[in-house]
Amino acid sequence: MSTIQPRLRWAYMDHWRVDTAQGPLSQYTSVEHFDAFLKQVSVLGFEAIETFDFHLGVFRELFGSLDGCRSFMQDRGIDRVLSLFHAVMFDERQSMPHVRATHDRIFNYAQYIMKSSAGLGVENFIVMPAGLYYDVEPVTDDKILACAEIWNRVGKMTKEFGVKTCCHHEFFCGLRSREELRKFYEWTDPEYVYWYCDTAQHVIAGVDPVELYVSLHDRCGGFHLKDTHHVDRTGDYRRRPDAEIMAPTTPRWFWEMGTAEGLVDFPALFTAMKDLNYTGWVGVEHDKADIGGGNYPESTAISMWYARNVLGRIYA
Amino acid sequence: MSAVDRDRSRPSVGAGTGPALRWSYALNCWKPGFMGFARREEHERASKVTSAAGFRAVELNAGSGRWEPLGRPDNVATNYGSAQKFLLQLNDWGIERVSSTFWDPGQMSFEDLHHGLLTSNPKDHAQIVATVRLHAEFLPQVGGEILVVRPAPSFSREGALTPERLRTIAECWTAAGRAAGEYGVRLALHVDALSAFRTADEIEALLAATPDAHVGLAIDTAEVTIAGHDPLALYERCRGRVFHFHFMNALARDELGEYRQPNAERVLIQCGGERRIARWFGELDHREGLVDFPRLVGALRRDGYAGWIVVESDKGPAPIASGVLQNGWYVQNVLDPSAKLPRGNVPVAVG
Repeated sequence: MSTIQPRLRWAYMDHWRVDTAQGPLSQYTSVEHFDAFLKQVSVLGFEAIETFDFHLGVFRELFGSLDGCRSFMQDRGIDRVLSLFHAVMFDERQSMPHVRATHDRIFNYAQYIMKSSAGLGVENFIVMPAGLYYDVEPVTDDKILACAEIWNRVGKMTKEFGVKTCCHHEFFCGLRSREELRKFYEWTDPEYVYWYCDTAQHVIAGVDPVELYVSLHDRCGGFHLKDTHHVDRTGDYRRRPDAEIMAPTTPRWFWEMGTAEGLVDFPALFTAMKDLNYTGWVGVEHDKADIGGGNYPESTAISMWYARNVLGRIYA
Repeated sequence: MSAVDRDRSRPSVGAGTGPALRWSYALNCWKPGFMGFARREEHERASKVTSAAGFRAVELNAGSGRWEPLGRPDNVATNYGSAQKFLLQLNDWGIERVSSTFWDPGQMSFEDLHHGLLTSNPKDHAQIVATVRLHAEFLPQVGGEILVVRPAPSFSREGALTPERLRTIAECWTAAGRAAGEYGVRLALHVDALSAFRTADEIEALLAATPDAHVGLAIDTAEVTIAGHDPLALYERCRGRVFHFHFMNALARDELGEYRQPNAERVLIQCGGERRIARWFGELDHREGLVDFPRLVGALRRDGYAGWIVVESDKGPAPIASGVLQNGWYVQNVLDPSAKLPRGNVPVAVG
């Protein structure tokens, strides 16, 4: 057994489903399902989960308080909810980062999440920093600047709660190209706005996540390590009504680490992380793993097998 | 009190001073039908899941035909080149060795041209010994030590044991055990819920009539519980002859004695019998589980048990990985904290 003190701690970004006699259910349906979920991710080496902020209510329902929820998790080896992924209803009437008239509501909603999530040990507030591409295009400098303004403002506020605001660029996000990313991070305050590296999303968008990490490593708030077998070469990112699940070209965009067809160069990324002395949390994700007959427990185990047996020999 | 709190509060599962417990996982759960689990990439994913869950050894399930690439040594050679190459491939997938193979002589064999062998029929003994030799020669080449065998057909096949039938069965396993011993392999007799061996007296009589160096007992905690035994009491009674364990929870007992039914494997185990039992087998920490694993492991530690403990997820349910991971957590956090993997992605040496 190794005695190496790890420099990386691992978090699981949750898209789990449980097969039950009532059909597939969320693991937050009952304490029993949540218990089984936590044990399954804990045994793989994870020490935290990441989830969507719309689950805060059910945590309270199941455990009476968020402190009680965290204590239950810690009993099973999961220390905290590391990150809350902010679920925003993108709409120009209320929440659209490039539309300044919606900024107060975006700010107030984010502040409400900060106030209502104490007790879980949250460190990251993850947002998609712009609306869907087709709602944002054409992407002008002023729209990028408007996005930068609201996330600077939100980031300053969340920092007061001890939480980093981290921007996560889906391949269909209004900010997706290398040039758009360059401008956005130049125009946001490094003290308040962090970049969350979702490896698959960047590859699908035609951006090299390793080069991006080297460029933005001092802004990196964490990772969602997942793979893809496809680059979007036909403009699916601007397809209505949805690119992520409904693109006719690609039934399944996302895969766990460790598949032969994967396009993300994880060894190169871990070499860069080692060279740049990254320490802290690393998240694993593989949303939509059940498309085509897969399942979350198996994909999660395969991911962590790869993390331990391949990436661990580079950096751990 | 939660199951976690309850199990952790028990004093019996200490690290102890005896040998480290040796854990393995049975691969049978990955092949629910004869067509599945035939492709190498399926073996790869199952091995990686097993390894990621903290298990570094696997138990194979003997089988027959071209869709059973791991079912016989010759099939392994056809699909992987040789036993040694198969072991190297397992090592690459994070599995150090094969602990054991399970073989039921009652299975048909395409290769040996029979529709199942009876240990109670002396005419079948030569073929049974030959098949034992086949597996016993293979096992040490992949790190294995134990051939787990079904000692007798189901009760429903021939009815209750008679002294004569028991003697014939013992003669079979005596010959087979000595043959296996030539390869350094021991036989572990796996009494299941449907077995003709119903009582501890019968099991003890079989053990008494076979050579203790070569033939012992495999206690399958779920199977013997369904059959009405207390696995700990059975272990205590047969302590010196217990070579092997299968750890799996039982969620119900055969209270109506339906093991007597014709085709009990289908009627009772697969379809749930009169009571329509939805699941007989469960994860180690299943809240309705009947097996007291902490007490059993406490006894094994006390006695310095040195054999394998093979965890099983027989009959799933899908997704199979879910049960494997949950059992891995229970082993590492409740039964044997010394088996706990380091957090994160710190590598663990294999081989």
